[in-house]
Amino acid sequence: MNSGPAPSLGEFIANWSIFRDAVITGSLAGALLGFLGVQIILRRMVFASSAIAQAAALGVALSFWVPAAIDPIGHAARHAADPSAHIVPLLFEPVIWALAAALLATLAFIANPVKLHLTRESVLGVVFLVGASGAVIIGDRITQESHDLAAILFGSAVVVERSDLVLVSIATVVILGIHVLLWRPLIFVAYDPTGAQVQDLPVRKLNLFVFLAIGVAVALCTRALGALPVFAFSVLPAMAALTLTDDLAIAFALATGIGALSGGAGYVVSFRGELPVGATQAAVALGVLAAALVRRVIQGLSRRRDRAAR
Amino acid sequence: MVVFAAPAYASPCDVSLAVPPIHSKKAGDWMACEIAGVETIVARFVGGATEKAGHRTVAAQNPEPLLVTRALEVGYDGEAILPAIDLRIGRKEFWSVIGPNGAGKSTFVRTLLGLDRPVRGSVTRAPDLRPCYVPQQATLDPIFPIKVLDFVLMGALERGKLLGPAGQVEIEAALQALAEVRAADLRRRLLRDLSGGQRQRVLLARALAARANLYVLDEPTAALDVASEREVLELVGALTAGRGATVVMITHMLEDALQRADQILFLDREHGLALAGPPREIVKSPGLQRLYGPVMSPKPNPNATG
Repeated sequence: MNSGPAPSLGEFIANWSIFRDAVITGSLAGALLGFLGVQIILRRMVFASSAIAQAAALGVALSFWVPAAIDPIGHAARHAADPSAHIVPLLFEPVIWALAAALLATLAFIANPVKLHLTRESVLGVVFLVGASGAVIIGDRITQESHDLAAILFGSAVVVERSDLVLVSIATVVILGIHVLLWRPLIFVAYDPTGAQVQDLPVRKLNLFVFLAIGVAVALCTRALGALPVFAFSVLPAMAALTLTDDLAIAFALATGIGALSGGAGYVVSFRGELPVGATQAAVALGVLAAALVRRVIQGLSRRRDRAAR
Repeated sequence: MVVFAAPAYASPCDVSLAVPPIHSKKAGDWMACEIAGVETIVARFVGGATEKAGHRTVAAQNPEPLLVTRALEVGYDGEAILPAIDLRIGRKEFWSVIGPNGAGKSTFVRTLLGLDRPVRGSVTRAPDLRPCYVPQQATLDPIFPIKVLDFVLMGALERGKLLGPAGQVEIEAALQALAEVRAADLRRRLLRDLSGGQRQRVLLARALAARANLYVLDEPTAALDVASEREVLELVGALTAGRGATVVMITHMLEDALQRADQILFLDREHGLALAGPPREIVKSPGLQRLYGPVMSPKPNPNATG
C-alpha cells in the first residue's frame, strides 16, 4: 500500500498519454454494457452477464495455460526473453479464447433446458461455477501470467492494450448501431415474444442477436477490463437509468451515459485514490445508482405530500 | 360393446366414418368422424360410451377458410391431451373456445397459431392469413416501461419492415386504432400504469393496428369489472362485424360465448372431450351440461355472422 500523498489530477492529465487508452476503453465498455444492460434487466437475465464474464475469464486463463502445457520450456523461454510482451500465436490470443468461451456460455443460455426439467437460471449457475472455479484452478497452474489473470478476474488492469481498445470500439459501434436500427422489433420481442412470433417476426434471430451481442460485448470487455467491472456495467447503469426515467428510449440513452461515466470517471478516481481500477469503476456506478434511488424516493415522498395537500 | 349413438341433430343416415371401423377402437382411444352436412365430430370412447357434437359446414359459404385442422392432436412432449380435432375456421366467423381450467384451451390455440407443434395431425393456413394474438394482460411484464403508443405501434410491425423508426402511416394507424377503442388520451401513458379495462382496450388497439384478419384473444375479460367487461366484449364484437375479421376467443363466460359466437369449441381434457359446433347444438352436449349444469339455449344473436 502506498502511504505517500495521493497523485493529483494534474499528474493524471500530465500522463494522459499513458492512461488514455484505458480511460477510453473503460468509457466505451461502460457505454456498451450500460446500453445492453437495459435489455439484460428487462429480460430478467442479470445473472447471464456475470456467468458469461466468468466463462470469458476462464477462456483467457486457458489461453495462457494451454500453450504452457503443450510446450512448457519454449513458453518459459519466450516469457523470460520479454516478460512484458504478449506476443503469442494467433491461436492462443486471449481475446479469441475469451470470445469462444463466452459464446459457448451464451449457447448454454440460449438452449432451452425445460426438457431436462431444469430452469435457465440453473444452467447459468453451472456456467458461472465452471467459469469461476475453472479460472481459479487454471490460474493456480499458471506462473508467468498469474498477474494478468488476476487482473482479468478482479478488474485491476491499469493498462489496456491498444488491440483491446480497437476491438471494444468496433463492438460498441456495430452492436449499438444494429440495436438502434432494430430498436422496435427488439423491444417487441423482449416485451411480448409470443405476440411477435404470431406476427411472424423473426423472434429467434432477434433473440440470437441480443444474446450474441451480450456474449461478444462481455467477452471483449472482460478481456480488456476484467470480470468485476463488466458485471457491474451490465447491471448498475441500467438500474440507475430505469430508476430515473419511465421512458424506454431515454433509459437506454441514460444507461449508456452512466456506463461511460462510470468507466471513465472510475478510472480517474482509482488513480487519485490509488484504488483497484475495476472495483472503483463498479463503486462509481453504484454511487450513481444510489443517487438515482435517493432521487426516486424523494420524488415519491414529494408526490405523496402533494396528493395529501390536495 | 361400443354404442355409437348419433346426436339428435344428425340423422343416423348422415353418419360416415372417416376413421378405422369403430369396433377396432378400444376404450380410451381417440377417434374422429365426419357426418355428412356436419363438418366436425370429435369424440373419445370412454368405456364404450361416445359423445359427439358437430356443426354445419361453412365450406359452401367460405370456400377458402382461414385455418383448417386435420386430425390435430395437441399436447406436450409427444403426448396428446385432447382428442384429434378437425376444424374449418372460416372468414368472418366468431369462435369461442370454452372449457374448464386446464382443459387445453391455450395449448390448442397456441398450436393453431403455430407457437407449439402439433403432436399429430396438421394445421393448414390460408396464404393471406394475418393473425394477431391478444394475450392475457396478466402475462405482460409489469416492470417494462412501455408507453401506450409504442405498444400499439408494435402491432404495425411486419417482417421485412423491421429497420428504423415508425413511419407516419404507422403512427396514424396506431392513433386511429387507439381512437377506435376510446383510448386516444392514454397514448402517452405507461401501459403498466393503466387500469385493467384500459389496458385491455390498448391490447385491442394493438390488434387493430396489426390489420389482421384473424384475432386470437386469450380471456380478454379476465379480472375486469362488469362495465369494462361489457366494453371490451363490445369492441371484440366489432372486430368481426366492423372489420370483417375472424375472431377466436378463449373465454370462461359461457353465457356470452353461447350468445355471441357463431361456433363454439368446447374442450375438456379431464373427460377427453373436444366438441365443435354452433351454440344451439353444443348446449345439448351432455359433457357441457355435466360441467356447467343445464344450459339455456342461446337466443338468436343479431351480431352473429354465421
